[in-house]
Amino acid sequence: MNTEKKSLRLAGVYLILTVWAITTIYPFLWVINNSFKPTRLIRRDSFSLALGEKFTLDNYTTAFERVDIVGAYVNSLVISGTVTVLVMLFAGFAAYGLARYNFRGRRVAHSMVLAAMMFPVFSTIIPVFRMEFAWGIANTSSVPLSLLSVILPQIAGNLSFSIIILMGFLLSIPVDMEEAAYLDGCNVYQVYFKIIIPITKSAFATVAIFTFLWSYNDLFTQMYFLRYKNTFTVTRLLNEINSQAGVNYGLMAAAVVLVIVPVLLVYIFLQKNIIKGLTAGAIKG
Amino acid sequence: MDSMLFRKKKPLFLFFTPALIFMSVFLYYPFIFNVINSVMSISGLGSAATGINDPWYVNYVNLFTDKIMLTALKNTFITMGATVVFQLGIALVLALLVDGIPKGAQVFRTVYFFPIVISATALGLLFNLIFLYDGGMINNMLKSFGMQELIDWKGESLYMVTMLTPVMWQYVGFYFVIIVTGLNNISSDIYEAAAIDGASGFKRIRYISLPLIYNVLCTCLILAITGALKVFDLPFVMMGTGAPLDKSWLTGTYMYHQAFSRQDVDYASAIAILIVVLGVIISQALNMLFKEKDY
Amino acid sequence: MKKIISLVLAAVLVAAMVAGCTKPEPTTNTTPAPTTTTPAPATETPAPAAEAPAAETPAPETTEPAPAAKPVELTVVTSYGGDDGNRVNYENAFKAYEAETGNTVLDASGTSNEEWKARIMADFETGAEPDVLFFFVGVDANKLIEGGKVVSVEEIRAKYPDYASNMKDETLPKSPADGKQYAIPVNGYWEGLFVNKKVLAAAGVEIPGPNTTWDQFMADCQKIADAGYIPIAASLNEVPHYWFEFTAFNHGNVAMHRNVPASSADANGAAWAAGLNDIKTMYEKGFFPPNTNTATDPETNVLMTDDSAAFMIDGSWKMGWFEENAEDISNFTVTYVPGMGERKSTDIIGGLSSGYYITRKAWDNPEKQAAAVAFVQAMTKDEVVNSFGATAITALKNGTTAPADASSLVQDALVMTKGASGVAEAAQDGLNPSARADLFGNVSNIVTGGMTAEAAIDQALAVTE
Repeated sequence: MNTEKKSLRLAGVYLILTVWAITTIYPFLWVINNSFKPTRLIRRDSFSLALGEKFTLDNYTTAFERVDIVGAYVNSLVISGTVTVLVMLFAGFAAYGLARYNFRGRRVAHSMVLAAMMFPVFSTIIPVFRMEFAWGIANTSSVPLSLLSVILPQIAGNLSFSIIILMGFLLSIPVDMEEAAYLDGCNVYQVYFKIIIPITKSAFATVAIFTFLWSYNDLFTQMYFLRYKNTFTVTRLLNEINSQAGVNYGLMAAAVVLVIVPVLLVYIFLQKNIIKGLTAGAIKG
Repeated sequence: MDSMLFRKKKPLFLFFTPALIFMSVFLYYPFIFNVINSVMSISGLGSAATGINDPWYVNYVNLFTDKIMLTALKNTFITMGATVVFQLGIALVLALLVDGIPKGAQVFRTVYFFPIVISATALGLLFNLIFLYDGGMINNMLKSFGMQELIDWKGESLYMVTMLTPVMWQYVGFYFVIIVTGLNNISSDIYEAAAIDGASGFKRIRYISLPLIYNVLCTCLILAITGALKVFDLPFVMMGTGAPLDKSWLTGTYMYHQAFSRQDVDYASAIAILIVVLGVIISQALNMLFKEKDY
Repeated sequence: MKKIISLVLAAVLVAAMVAGCTKPEPTTNTTPAPTTTTPAPATETPAPAAEAPAAETPAPETTEPAPAAKPVELTVVTSYGGDDGNRVNYENAFKAYEAETGNTVLDASGTSNEEWKARIMADFETGAEPDVLFFFVGVDANKLIEGGKVVSVEEIRAKYPDYASNMKDETLPKSPADGKQYAIPVNGYWEGLFVNKKVLAAAGVEIPGPNTTWDQFMADCQKIADAGYIPIAASLNEVPHYWFEFTAFNHGNVAMHRNVPASSADANGAAWAAGLNDIKTMYEKGFFPPNTNTATDPETNVLMTDDSAAFMIDGSWKMGWFEENAEDISNFTVTYVPGMGERKSTDIIGGLSSGYYITRKAWDNPEKQAAAVAFVQAMTKDEVVNSFGATAITALKNGTTAPADASSLVQDALVMTKGASGVAEAAQDGLNPSARADLFGNVSNIVTGGMTAEAAIDQALAVTE
């Protein structure tokens, strides 16, 4: 193949990728841009740059004035961090069991995992609240217990999805290595931790990102269980300041920016440290 | 699957116990109430039931006689089709393209992730402004090109396009990330070997990449189909009232509407069950069609 | 490996069990609260747990405990959370109460919407209700009253005769469930016609006044439409509520307006149908925005501040929005919705739609009873009510006074409510929420001819709770 044709094709590829990238970056810039504009300009004039007279820091000052955002970040990290770690652990196990073992009821188990993914949160939240209230962990003024009351249902809610994705990845991995390890005398747990986890690190990282993201953005559960200001997470808190009554778009844009910054940091961190290491050719089969 | 390693079933117990506990306590046990609720008479979420419906299965009959519910089902099936074609299709193409470029893959991977990070409320607002009737981005652009009449993007002819475009767009990034991860899992040795054998470009994709991510694609397919059944956020923000004239409901938004606006909790519960049943049936059918492949 | 897993599992289980055992029953715990009001929750939990049993045993009746003697923790839920215009006033008021009594207020206020209401109902059902609740007084609260979950003013006054003594008894809202009084209101709401003066001037139309009739108003709308403006900013898709309210009012009168019809055939039903048909006529004349059947409410609101539309009916809660979004607030005013027939233009819709309830749970708790009563007293004092925005619709014996720095719009509103010849409560508040959603969901169908007004009314009335 001649190089000219090749580089032409590569240019075409970059063009397509860039066009899509523009559509995904644009909203992000739009939100940032509008977070520096006074609210009344946003509906009328949301597509112009926040420059000169249109520029204001008011939205951020209001956001910081009204709320203890640092405490909220801590609560968010505690909740979403715990949920992510435990979901990875439990979902990894279950996915491995489903992907590798042949047992009676496997199909039923798989269906049950799938079905659980479809349960709308609106229909499970009230029984869960009643249960947790009876245990004494919901509707208390204690911060750790309130956080726990969100963590538990969120773990359950994120398991199905994580199990299904991890299963998909595990099925794509040949069992040869595991067999070899078994012949070398490893038991199944050693195989799981020493072989499976390292070679599916990127899959786990991806699922971890989604779990973190959904736990972090899951406003409905947080709204229901976190009632007092000192238990609020970032998402809950910022929803509070841009609730329906005040269609305060400027403040809302600022809130969105404050909410997404940590998620992007987590994503970039996980991607740099895990996925990149893999693409460099870390796996040698 | 029949490796010696997995003959002993005892470890299964430990593998399943934690997930099983969490799912039964926080999902299945509460969902039993939902099943019970669907035959009771309840008004207002959180209120106690006032008795059993007469006849008890009346909500299930309503599911199939309620014209709006049928509209919602029709729209949901359209969404499913669109999801598979556009979300998965675009995501797969982008993932394969990104996998093949020498530089900048990292940047694209980060950037394509943006739409999933930004909350639906904010995106809904953005799209509302893009499709706004008077002064919206698209209508403004068309006006500057000399269009006379403003287009009502949420009107009777265009509502599906207006509702589905943002949904499609948002989740491309989601499947993209999963597929790219699947491609990353392919050992570089295989590509090296293929390169020596002279396979490159489309051949490499057709004979190596695609088969090796087959299972991941199946997973994505199931997620896309089941996701379409419960898609909620963006359509809710953009068309929370089923506008125009109750034509744009989806199963997810209609269930919410019944539970919260109409406070018909028992009917909403029946819709929830329909969503779950449809989700399981469709995904099992897909599983049979595209059997998992082992390597 | 096994060890790690079992450790993690064990940790989770232990955590859950410990939590289950200590059960720091938030509403009954009587932490000897430190003088600092901010609780240090992490370290505090074990302590109240140990004391909880003591608190639960009915204390030997200490007659009339002085609130300051034994500081207690009151849980309070109101709709003054989020971005509510009165949030700051509310917070100031309860902080003043905290400072005065030494009690702590655990505030779990939210924004009033369907999810918020559902959460409150579930809380009462579970036994997790707050001590004091600020909630609607209409049919929304029926379940609380029927379930005996809240205490009536009468019962409270038997023990605390001064309770709400600054309010006119006959104006305290009565529950539609049993006709008794339960809630103590803060300030009342009204609905009126917001006007964009600039658009009116450009179209050569006078601002409607107390004597403007509906026919004149229709002629004015036509003039405005002819001048290229949108006469009425409203989303029939999302919020036809206010126009329904006044068009139906126009075919009835103050005395009957609030009654819920039995069918579209009786007097009220006929008024509703005639009102809905008026909306249809207005739609056919093109008085609403062209996309009124698909537009969102905020989208049509902005037509007012954009100087594209002339009129909008909305409630007292919209004042803050205008103040925030209008470039020049003096460009806007609020006036009477022109009337016809028995309804004078100066007859307005308004009332006291929500108020403070004391829950049965708090009342039956000797530790909290007095504190809850004192709290409601503190939150409904004249000064506090005045700070929440002046309106002539109030239960205060002394009436309200406008703040000195009020904007022209606020002053216009005060003039409007003061000049009202009659006040009727909103008819839709008599409908159960499901029926309400059904009726208003069909307004778009009515105006486009997909359904008759009568059929829509009968269908909605058939929707039982």
